Amino acid sequence: MIEGVPVDVGLANEGERIRKEEMHLEFGGPKVESKWEIVRVMPPDSVEDGVVRIVGPDIRELAGGGSYPLGILVEVAGPQLEEDFEGIIERRIHEYSNYVEGLMHLNQRYDIWVRLSKRGFKAGFDSLEYLGLVLLHLFKNELPIIEAMQVTFYTEPSAVAERLPDVLARYEARDARARGLTDEEVDTFYGCALCQSFAPRHICIITPERYANCGAISWFDGRAAARMDPKGPIFALEKGECLDPVNGEFVGVNATAKERSMGEVDRVRLYSAFGYPHTSCGCFEGIAFYIPEVEGFGIVHRGFRDPTVNGLAFSTMADSTAGGRQVDGFHGVSLEYLKSRKFLAADGGWDRVVWVPSEILDRLKPFLPEGVAERTATERDVTGVDDLREFLRARDHPVVARWTEEPSGRALVTAENLPLEVGGYRVILKNARIYADRVIVLREEPAHGEGRR
Amino acid sequence: MKGIDIRIAEIASPLGRVRDLRLGIGRVGSGTWDEPVGPTPCPSPTALRDWDRRLLARYKPFYMPLCDLCCLCTYGKCDLSGGKRGACGITLEAQQSRIVLLAACIGAATHTSHARELVEYLIARNGRTYPIDPGGLSVELRMPIAELVCGVRPETLGDLETVLEYCEEQVVHLLSATHTGQEGDPIDFESKVLHTGMIDHTAMEVADVAQISALDFPKADPGAALVELGIGAVDAEKPVILVVGHNVPPAAAILDHLAASGLEGSVEVTGICCTAIDMSRRSRAAKIVGPISWQLRYIRSGIPDLVVVDEQCVRADIFEEATRAGLPVIATSSKNCIGLPDRTSDPSDELVADLVSGAVPGVLVLDPEKVGEVAVRVAVERRPLRPEVPALDVAAAAEACRGCGACAEACPAESEIPAAMQAAGQGETGALGALLASCVGCGRCEDACPQGIEVHRLIAASCDACDRFAIRTGRGPIQDVEIREVGGPLVLGEIPGVVAFVGCANYLEGGEEVAEMVTEFAKRRFVVCTSGCAAMAAAMHHDEEGLTPYERFSGRFEAGGVVNVGSCVSNAHISGAAVKIASIFAKRNLSGNYAEVADYVYNRVGAVGVAWGAMSQKAASIAAGFWRLGIPVVVGPHGAKYRRMLLGRADRDEDWTVRDRRTGDDVYVGPVPEHLFIAAETKEEAMALIAKLAMRPNDTSRGRSIKISHYIDLHQHCYGRMPDDLHRFIRTPADIPVMQKDRILPLLEANGWIERPIPDPTLLPQEVSR
Repeated sequence: MIEGVPVDVGLANEGERIRKEEMHLEFGGPKVESKWEIVRVMPPDSVEDGVVRIVGPDIRELAGGGSYPLGILVEVAGPQLEEDFEGIIERRIHEYSNYVEGLMHLNQRYDIWVRLSKRGFKAGFDSLEYLGLVLLHLFKNELPIIEAMQVTFYTEPSAVAERLPDVLARYEARDARARGLTDEEVDTFYGCALCQSFAPRHICIITPERYANCGAISWFDGRAAARMDPKGPIFALEKGECLDPVNGEFVGVNATAKERSMGEVDRVRLYSAFGYPHTSCGCFEGIAFYIPEVEGFGIVHRGFRDPTVNGLAFSTMADSTAGGRQVDGFHGVSLEYLKSRKFLAADGGWDRVVWVPSEILDRLKPFLPEGVAERTATERDVTGVDDLREFLRARDHPVVARWTEEPSGRALVTAENLPLEVGGYRVILKNARIYADRVIVLREEPAHGEGRR
Repeated sequence: MKGIDIRIAEIASPLGRVRDLRLGIGRVGSGTWDEPVGPTPCPSPTALRDWDRRLLARYKPFYMPLCDLCCLCTYGKCDLSGGKRGACGITLEAQQSRIVLLAACIGAATHTSHARELVEYLIARNGRTYPIDPGGLSVELRMPIAELVCGVRPETLGDLETVLEYCEEQVVHLLSATHTGQEGDPIDFESKVLHTGMIDHTAMEVADVAQISALDFPKADPGAALVELGIGAVDAEKPVILVVGHNVPPAAAILDHLAASGLEGSVEVTGICCTAIDMSRRSRAAKIVGPISWQLRYIRSGIPDLVVVDEQCVRADIFEEATRAGLPVIATSSKNCIGLPDRTSDPSDELVADLVSGAVPGVLVLDPEKVGEVAVRVAVERRPLRPEVPALDVAAAAEACRGCGACAEACPAESEIPAAMQAAGQGETGALGALLASCVGCGRCEDACPQGIEVHRLIAASCDACDRFAIRTGRGPIQDVEIREVGGPLVLGEIPGVVAFVGCANYLEGGEEVAEMVTEFAKRRFVVCTSGCAAMAAAMHHDEEGLTPYERFSGRFEAGGVVNVGSCVSNAHISGAAVKIASIFAKRNLSGNYAEVADYVYNRVGAVGVAWGAMSQKAASIAAGFWRLGIPVVVGPHGAKYRRMLLGRADRDEDWTVRDRRTGDDVYVGPVPEHLFIAAETKEEAMALIAKLAMRPNDTSRGRSIKISHYIDLHQHCYGRMPDDLHRFIRTPADIPVMQKDRILPLLEANGWIERPIPDPTLLPQEVSR
């Protein structure tokens, strides 16, 4: 319990869902035009530490059952705080609000939706001041770099609406800053070892132009996390000398990969799926997979359940790329990385991408250069590689220029003389060619001795 | 494909003349598999002894002898109490472990035999080359356990026989170890118990994958249908068939016959125990009556027109009970013939005529298709003849009670029957009816009553148990994609663990406790799995909005999901999910690589099994299969009758070091998980234990802090105070849960706590990188 707050606060309440029938009232959500939450890093003298203000009617003055506008302004100050940390601090409003018994917080930024349950209201949670106290307590305890903090809740409809354009402009500025930064401009990348708990040999390298595979951590997030929790799993690494600007190979990245993968991986090419590709743990959002027949890449995301253009489903290919290994032509990616200029840049980037599920292509369209979406096939256009080839030829896809001759099947084994020992006999197959999808050779188990081991 | 043997007496070819050529290939693997086979494909009973001993060194058997005599040979009975040895030299400890092994062998043999019958039936029905497909495109790793244990990747029904042959061979070896004059060391017995559990999971996986593939059950489907459960769901106006048991082909044939003869919807097919779940996986029209405890009360209810039994957990007196209720019986299993004449080869018309007329009270028919036809026709023709069950005057019957207490003495649930009975004798039947919730339906009270009162019948008659509930039918395996999606949150601690509620219905305080625990952990955003009778019990409770946990929570393998994998044999998908995590995230080779993968699961995957009402020998072998993977199991108070627990000693720091795979250093990690097998007295105690046992050495700080906060919360619910062992679980200040710092820091200080590293943990020396 937090002093003065009438309900329980803790992780155990995080999963609480409040249905319409159980709701006392809600702020934001689909029925309300104006709603937002924002964190601002401020100079120390403009933050009155520990203060909660409510501009407009409080919960106890609002009729039960209603939906009301809400703006949450969290202002923080501290010598180590930077404007770039605002986003990552802001995301914790969601987390911490959900610790409150009887409160449910959904979404973020200009899309928030906060519900208070009847039970919570009855228990005495009749003021936003309590939420303010919770936020103050948790932020200051969990993030010691916040030295002073004040919270303002706006519930007066005009006050919420009036501030909305400014808040939106700040989100946009934040995003633009993130979008604009390039790998070349920074000296520091970030590494994430979170997944090593399950995948001990995988390490994620996060650069301004390469999100973590899971899609959850940008370079800015990495920077904030490494600063705020220096002992945590996200750490800064000097990118070091650039050995290969095209493939994206850096001395510092190689050294980190070697150290953290226990020597398994000692070279990483950040911008290529070949040679020394970035490893994948298991929670990547999508896979870029090479289709040798057309010399291009397909992309598939986790949610796509059907077979892809090469006949294999996500789960099948995922099996080939997971576990912290470097597998040529199978590359675990985040969806955000697909928007990056550096996305498989060494291999041709979107000029090499030939197939993407329509759901993802639609989502990415605004971020892709003109004409790319139109020349990229989806499951609606083609069903197999033969169709795909026709499609690409018809759209004059850049990969077509790479086709020198029609690809054909290759012999698995060719030998002038292929000797086989069979029970004392020697069988020689002359000019043998054996074709097979896969050949599995199993050792026969010894009949005696230790038995099965 | 099994052994190939080609002999050529003489052949003339361009290669030359060959005589007496014999070409033998021991085994031909099929399929697309490039994984190297690990060190222990198809392990012998001793191949994993080293791994077992590492576990058993931490979790030593703590004996609670149910019986300190041994009467297995004619030297005996031998009294083994007070340190005495038996005539053969055996100690009490070894004898307890020996009986555990015997029970586990019975369980594993039962599942293996069940799997064998299913596979043979389905091969005959669908063909040897019928493909295995338990999850469509969402499941690449179709049989993680078979792959892990046997080093094979079966692709067709025929391929499953290779796996079964191995299981059968092992069960014979294991059972033979219980003969007089074999093992004498308790730990060797225990190691074999673990081996038996592993075999059991292998056989269960074969059984369920075969039936999912060939009988078209939901294939790893999180949206598997919600089906009806409870007596109240049965439309008694229609002809009603009751099927009891575990092996679904006869029940499936009944459903198929109904569909084929256009009678779907006009006959009620109702089931008790796992057959019920499995037939609801075949058809939404099937109705689940309830767990095994519902046999007597349902047969006596006057609703069914016919009883069909297959195998396992069927009451041994079911034929007598059905006959008393005027119901014809069809037995269908070679393992449960219940004394009936084998009429398999008789024409269906004759069987129908005999059963409808009552010329014979029951028949044994070992052909599922014939059962399907005969059962439907008999039920339809018997419906107009259904005897009216006379209304029972509970008060009048209860008046005979003299309050001697023999019934309570006999009751496994220790129900307070006498007081309730005497109240009923005075017309107050409420208390008597309330006993039904915790009643295991055994009927021992009736045999015990010197007055001949039909105690169970009166209890059932005093309770309006006609509720109807919704249960999500068994979905089968967990998708690879689901595993991928929970991987991140499990690592980050957003999902504090996976809890599986499995096993039978021997609950002290009733099945409602299972529903409560399921709801509590789903609300706390654990991934909750259910199977078998526990899955049914979890459904038999409505929340304040009238929803069962299956209606309230999603069926996805995700935080806050409630995932019914299916019947008993579906338990293999729960262990399989843990194994898949090793394959998917760390890309550990599964093939014949048991020890390494078990070490991974044990140190990293925060899974806990709960068998709150475990009763059977199968429950013993299922639990053992989880133990060998390092997954702890909590049982209800009756679980103490399994004769020994596997308890860790939190106070012995030296027991809790692991190797850091990166450095090779020995690191103290605290008692995580603290026990491998433990009984809890109350559901509150169980819940605090579950939260505690979900901790693993590899937890990230955020994950650990979330696990600890659930542990503290549930511990406070149970005991009304903070746990006193937090210093053992907190490794760094970042492990301390939000909101608890003020309370925990003084506790740490008082216990001389020092910060310690979080290693990359293993128990296996070979795992340390050089």
